[in-house]
Amino acid sequence: MPQADWRTALRVIAGFLAGLAIWILLTPLYDRVIAAGAQATMRLFEKPKVTRLEPGADQYVTVDRADFDPRSKRPDIPLRDLTFNIVLLTALFAASKRPFSDRNIGGFLISLVVLALTHVLGTIVEVMSIYVAKLGMWSTVHYTAFDRNVWGVANHFYRLVLMYAIAFALWWIFRDPATAAAAPAAKAAKKKKKR
Amino acid sequence: MQRNQVLFLVKFFGVLLAAYLLIAWSPVNDHVIVPFTRAIATSSGALLNAIGQKVTVQDTTISSSRFGVNINNGCNGVEAMLILLASIAAFPASMRARGAGLLLGAIVVQVLNAIRIVTLYLLGAYHPRLFDLFHTAVWQIVIILAAIGFFLLWSARVAPSRLANRA
Repeated sequence: MPQADWRTALRVIAGFLAGLAIWILLTPLYDRVIAAGAQATMRLFEKPKVTRLEPGADQYVTVDRADFDPRSKRPDIPLRDLTFNIVLLTALFAASKRPFSDRNIGGFLISLVVLALTHVLGTIVEVMSIYVAKLGMWSTVHYTAFDRNVWGVANHFYRLVLMYAIAFALWWIFRDPATAAAAPAAKAAKKKKKR
Repeated sequence: MQRNQVLFLVKFFGVLLAAYLLIAWSPVNDHVIVPFTRAIATSSGALLNAIGQKVTVQDTTISSSRFGVNINNGCNGVEAMLILLASIAAFPASMRARGAGLLLGAIVVQVLNAIRIVTLYLLGAYHPRLFDLFHTAVWQIVIILAAIGFFLLWSARVAPSRLANRA
């Protein structure tokens, strides 16, 4: 591997470790923001507005509804399982030859905002997948088999691959093309066009 | 954003969704993914036994008196292989280059995945407090980064040769 690639690898490792540390430190606060966003969004489509997402101290968010039996156990969701692609995004932006350039930092910040929006959507999908399939008779009475398939597949798709694909796509869109790792391909394509 | 970037992303997400639906389809899951995961469990169990851990493998579960891990989707490297497949399929290259990239990339991902399973088992057995962090975030990101890194190296390599062939 050429020397420049080792430097890229070192930058990626540094970005990965920095992203991991920030994610671990900010997760309790970030979980509250995402839970509040998901709750507000879900309530926009609810009549009456019944969903309540309550972050706990144990990094789980409790899913509650005003129409649940008060004696029944409330399901929990580990939001960290839906948000750790922040670490991937940080590592990818750190791969740039000038990671602290205005363009790279700007792209990273825009990507973070978009990623946070996808975390809100991912949380809604997670909550819906609980509503449609994991609450026994209540789920059967309130939702159809089609609902269960749609929300179940959406949730599994997000968790298995989409959350990584989103981080990769955001980096692909907002990276600094002049200093990105795949620059040789872009340069060759430009030369060919000029000819 | 340039037109070719948009095209790449549209193809990338299209292939990713199609490939996901294929592997999530019960007959494919039962006859391809589950036996594949079982083979990963068997080979990882053999690796653990080779380094002195006395483990037994049953179906997709590796266990001993100390600890046990069940290998599911998300821990079998298939997610990273799907990202790799989608990105290589979306990038303009010859079928031969794509085939070679996919084969080599899949080997890289699966070698790393075997190391992931072995280290996760060892963490669970000897440092259980670290298991969750490494299981949820660290190894998952490392495997995906490896797949993306492989794709970037592959794309930088095949793009000039593809253009040269056309010229």
